[in-house]
Amino acid sequence: MRRLLLALSVLIAATPAFAQTTTPSEMLRSSVHNVIRPAIKTLSLRADELVADMEALCRAPAPAQLEAARAGFAGAALAFGRVEFVRTGPLVEENRVDRLLFWPDRKGIALKQVQAILAGEDAAAITPERIRQGSVAVQGFGALEFVLFGTGAETLATGMPFRCAFGQAIAANIATIAGELVAGWADPDGIALHLTAPDPAYADYRTQTEALEGLVGLMAHGIEAARDQRLLPFISRDGKPAKPRQAMFWRSSLTLPMLRADIEGIRRMLGLSGIVSDADLASAIEAAFGNALAAIDRVTGDVETAVVDPDQAAALLDLLAATQDLQRLIGEELSASLGLSVGFSSLDGD
Amino acid sequence: MWQRRAFLKAAGTGFAASLLPRQALALEGSELIFASATLTEAGSYGAILLNERGAVITSLDLPDRGHDITISREANRGVVFARQPGTFALVFDPAGREAPITLTSSEGRHFFGHGVFSPDGRLLYATENDFEAAEGVIGIYDATDGYRRIGEFPTYGTGPHEMLLMPDGVTFVVANGGIETHPDYGRAELNLSTMDPSIVFIDRRDGHLVGQLRLDPGLHQLSIRHMAIDARSRVWFGCQYKGQPADMPQLLGYATADGEIRLVELPADTLRDLRNYVGSVAISADGERVAISSPQGNLLVALDTEGRYPVLVEGLRDGCGLAADGAGFLATSGDGEMIGFAGAAHARQVFDFQFDNHMLRFA
Repeated sequence: MRRLLLALSVLIAATPAFAQTTTPSEMLRSSVHNVIRPAIKTLSLRADELVADMEALCRAPAPAQLEAARAGFAGAALAFGRVEFVRTGPLVEENRVDRLLFWPDRKGIALKQVQAILAGEDAAAITPERIRQGSVAVQGFGALEFVLFGTGAETLATGMPFRCAFGQAIAANIATIAGELVAGWADPDGIALHLTAPDPAYADYRTQTEALEGLVGLMAHGIEAARDQRLLPFISRDGKPAKPRQAMFWRSSLTLPMLRADIEGIRRMLGLSGIVSDADLASAIEAAFGNALAAIDRVTGDVETAVVDPDQAAALLDLLAATQDLQRLIGEELSASLGLSVGFSSLDGD
Repeated sequence: MWQRRAFLKAAGTGFAASLLPRQALALEGSELIFASATLTEAGSYGAILLNERGAVITSLDLPDRGHDITISREANRGVVFARQPGTFALVFDPAGREAPITLTSSEGRHFFGHGVFSPDGRLLYATENDFEAAEGVIGIYDATDGYRRIGEFPTYGTGPHEMLLMPDGVTFVVANGGIETHPDYGRAELNLSTMDPSIVFIDRRDGHLVGQLRLDPGLHQLSIRHMAIDARSRVWFGCQYKGQPADMPQLLGYATADGEIRLVELPADTLRDLRNYVGSVAISADGERVAISSPQGNLLVALDTEGRYPVLVEGLRDGCGLAADGAGFLATSGDGEMIGFAGAAHARQVFDFQFDNHMLRFA
């Protein structure tokens, strides 16, 4: 079943068609129906699989089960990566973004809190209620990454009941939040309605123009966030040394795959929403996405090796340049081609 | 205009160092100057000076996106500050007689986009980020010595944004937005759960803290960012809310050097349409009206500072820049529009560049 789903999602993701002539109403509807809802649903499925993987690991600890749980983590985290740019509606309510992935975390708050819980071995600290109502930093993928890949994680393969139960509780929390996202986007009177049929009475989207500006803003911000929060913190630039330990998901070697997921998620939205109607702009955007993904492909090692290898370090700078191109193309040129005013004052005010 | 810009670039200067005589005349004949950072049609960043009729006096090229501008008649200079986390400030001669100079923020600091001159024009102050410590500072620059940085004061908070000089000429008021940022993470907000915004009054002679005001603890995610001072020396401030969007707290308030701080109550539909975001605050020329803008909500709002008259609202797409004009305000937008609002007679104009967040009125 899982393999079939994977195959299907690959098939659907294969070729976003750019440069279409679509009405604003169709763009909005397609964004919700063809992109956001399926991506949220995939996240929820992967999160449920992760829960099952963790449960299997805790029930019968073994190296193969640990590998399966780690793969489950990657599947769910990358599914989130493809949809995390949709920072409107359910994802921004109830701190869900931070609870799913507390990042950036410059001072390493999550690590300290996770280590404190692991050291405490207090079963009462990892009940679903305590996890859900406790610190946002230990509720999501960041905390679970440390449990599954951080110092001492190998003991999970031979049996480390508390650590495993903690991981299981985090996975369950992720699945619960993902379920809430599915419900939020399925609500017939909720965000999906507001985005596809804006109305002056709504607090979020009053007109089609505002809804389109919202969508374009999500994509431009998504590229910016990927660059500023996931790439810039660890690469070497302006003569400053690289800081590979500042990279998100360096322990699981998912730093670059997560960047890929972020970029592919936005590429998919641009392709399937039909929001790019100008052929020249469409090819410029597609070329920039191509450059970004090609640069990621050239980073073959983990982050610590990549930043010291000249070719891979150069690829990281090429990725930086491609994300800057994408931000300009989406935030400024696409916005202008649609007659929107996303690109300047309102996109990221000050 | 494009030919002129091309000429300036070819001449290797960032500013109209040798203005055409007619334009220099326009500058001196202006009773009022309006100044704003811009994004040009060609995609480059700059700043523009306009006269009171909305005619372009001159334009500057900037290396990156600018934010606010301050001008001192005493120093005979204006300064455009880089938008955060930018590291440049461009000091220019408003009359265009001398070439501009570019300041670079010192090691471990970047600009937040706002600053003021001392009343005598001898010192320039700028809000800056000590980003390793996540503490705000006021950088102090000697205008009589090539704008050498001669020191700094703390702002007693994180993420200072706008700073103004109170009418007494010795007290700064600074809006500590409360948001921690670090250039390693671009503009990402790093401390939303522990934000601690405040308004502080600081003595500009020695940097000591005269007073610090905070809103209710339940509003700790309400970032205080922009300000303007009314006829009674009350500091009106506009906020941006970083908590749950549905909370919709009030966004406009005032603080006084006597220690009062309060939010004023905007009508529910006006508040909703501001979208948890105020981008600029301005006070009318008579000091009795305050205007705020929300580029997120495409809305301008004007209120009587004494609450005597109804709240006025007007839509302006991506409208953010505000400055006093006549009885009301000029407002500018990211679409290149300039309109009169709430009593300003200025006819709508559309320019071939985009206005950035703030407009300075210089009388």
